[in-house]
Amino acid sequence: MSDTNVSLAAGASKRGGSQLWREIYKHRVIYLFISPFFILFAVFGLFPILFSLYLSLHKWDGIGEMKYLGLGQYNYLLHDADFWKSILNTLEIWIISTIPMLFFALLIAFLLNSTFVRFRNVYRVIYFLPNVTSIVAVAIVFGTIFGDNYGFLNFLLKTLGLQPVKWLSSPVMLKVAIAVMVIWRWTGYNSIIYLAGLQSISNELYEAARIDGANLMQTFFRITIPIIRPIILFTLITSTIGGMQIFTEPQVLTNNSGGPEHGGMTIVLYLYQQSFLNHMFGYGSAVAWGMFVIIAVFSLINWKIVQLTERK
Amino acid sequence: MNMKKGLTISLAALLAAAAAGCSSSTNAGGDTAKPSSGSKEKVQLTLWYWNRSIDDNLLAQVNKQFPNIELKAEKIGGDFRAKLITTITAGTGAPDITGMNSDIATYFPSKDKFVNLFDLGAQKEAGNYLEWKWKQGVTGDGKFMLGYPMDTGPTALFYRADLFEKAGLPSDPAQVTAQLKDWNAYIDAARKMKAATNGQVFMFDNISTIYMQSLAQGDKVYFDTTDKFIGDQPHIKAAWDRAVSISKEGLSAKIGGGTNDWNAAMNNGKIASFIGAAWMMQILAEAAPDTKGKWRIARAPGGDGNNGGSFLAIPKQSKHPNEAFEVIKWLQSPENQLQAFTTMSLYPSAPSVLKDAKMNQPAEFFGGEKVNETFAESANHVKPAYFGAYANIPSKAFGDELTNVEQQNKDPEKAYADALANAKKQLEQATH
Repeated sequence: MSDTNVSLAAGASKRGGSQLWREIYKHRVIYLFISPFFILFAVFGLFPILFSLYLSLHKWDGIGEMKYLGLGQYNYLLHDADFWKSILNTLEIWIISTIPMLFFALLIAFLLNSTFVRFRNVYRVIYFLPNVTSIVAVAIVFGTIFGDNYGFLNFLLKTLGLQPVKWLSSPVMLKVAIAVMVIWRWTGYNSIIYLAGLQSISNELYEAARIDGANLMQTFFRITIPIIRPIILFTLITSTIGGMQIFTEPQVLTNNSGGPEHGGMTIVLYLYQQSFLNHMFGYGSAVAWGMFVIIAVFSLINWKIVQLTERK
Repeated sequence: MNMKKGLTISLAALLAAAAAGCSSSTNAGGDTAKPSSGSKEKVQLTLWYWNRSIDDNLLAQVNKQFPNIELKAEKIGGDFRAKLITTITAGTGAPDITGMNSDIATYFPSKDKFVNLFDLGAQKEAGNYLEWKWKQGVTGDGKFMLGYPMDTGPTALFYRADLFEKAGLPSDPAQVTAQLKDWNAYIDAARKMKAATNGQVFMFDNISTIYMQSLAQGDKVYFDTTDKFIGDQPHIKAAWDRAVSISKEGLSAKIGGGTNDWNAAMNNGKIASFIGAAWMMQILAEAAPDTKGKWRIARAPGGDGNNGGSFLAIPKQSKHPNEAFEVIKWLQSPENQLQAFTTMSLYPSAPSVLKDAKMNQPAEFFGGEKVNETFAESANHVKPAYFGAYANIPSKAFGDELTNVEQQNKDPEKAYADALANAKKQLEQATH
């Protein structure tokens, strides 16, 4: 979008640029109407993005003089084992949260869409509710549920005669605890999106299938899934972007530290730690751009997959 | 066409109003004097503080105390430091007086953004405050005073008298102080506690507390006064080894501070003692209401120390540093610090009021003990120590690895080497 605008403007300026301005002036009311978004975006979106790029070439503690380092921060980033570990952690948490989350979301949407469920709207609200609760409050509550010694979950395990699990003090289980929080929060959101997709499927298809003697499983896998595939891909992409940005859950659960062996150190938590706890805003910006590259790569992969499935 | 024009005008008016709204709010945040009728050229000062850092009653009295000053105190929530450095870097909107937490040393490299309180005659007040506290607000070379002393956090031993009795240890504060005179005696007592309770009750909450409090008792931490890293020296290794040996012997409950588990463990008697600052009294009382009356306070084994405490500073942006300093001096005068202790439990940094009758009230949660007698002694015996601007980096590196030793059974020697390497790596990155 912006590219074409730029090239248009460049072209226009070459051969009598006044024409473009005349056009803009003619439609000034329209431009005025759309300007709030662009002004706000320029101030709160575009400028910080560009400034972080500028910052990532410098060393800055947020208050003193900036020192130009060139690509020094990026060079350090590539050799920073903690950064790579945070990428690995983020991917692991993403995988163990996204797959069950999307599966449950689809299941819930399918059940809500079936004719035998009553009070559908009530369920819809209930499932969506976790998504609008304060994430910090949620993390604190989950912290008490997952507590190593006196947590509710371990109390249940002990009551059942099982061994308690070190949810918060083992790097592996910490990831599971974070993933559970993500699943709890986002399953309802995704199921509402799936439900919208399911409702667009014509009932005639299901009726025809039933007449042909297909059971519930067959209609689900042969009719529902293929039709809402684009929606599944959409949720996959949004979950990827969201998953790469997990921050509050590990921050609150580990009290900023990243947990034992930094098992809960995600990319954004690392960024936050470098910028706001170690006061290295230049390096924090470099981490942000490293994350940008990773998300871009993942989006590209997603996009390729979409193209491949469409070709089929 | 007409309608179009009308729309344009009204939209333009709206935008203008919005812009005006912006500028008026910056005026309110800054220190631009409004041409108000009535009052004659009052000096307007803004002060930034966080919740529970200054007594609101005292702030309300400033305008009465100084008829020529109009103080606007703003309680800043969220990331205080980020907001402060944003306004300082922006060059406008910074307060005339700002609170600063125990991270005051992190501002030393940018001291040119602040007023040197020595230039305003602060030296005259030095005798009113504890020496070690005063020094924390001054740079390593002793030439620049950035922060004026507010509250402190002298440390002491918090212990359960009933559990100590059960383990055959003395339970009276004076006797506990006498018997647990150093770390070895304390660790000996921990072994007794473990044996007497069949390993059900632990003397220590976690080994990070031991490490941190060992360092708080010393006169040097991670940097010398020229900001050279000394975290690889024996005093750090000694604190580390002490923490590790306690972990090896199984004398720690392995429960991290500030967690729900910690609160629960305190409340149900799994932990018999810990070394903590005066401000832990309130936290403990809220965490463990069922143990009311069972806790006591004695002097900390191994020596007195300090945790935390805050300061007041004047950003360079202030147009009225002299008036700001007068307000600071008054807010933190010994009498007013005493006042803030009675209303907010902010422990004073002025030694003259530490023995005041108002401070020596018996504490119900601690079985009616006059706990301040211990804290006052402690406050008077803390050794001055220099922290340095980047202390949080090695502090986190060592703390994280200690957690790995305690929770993940990581090899202590490997953990120590990793912590040191990590601290050096990050310091190189932050300071080179």
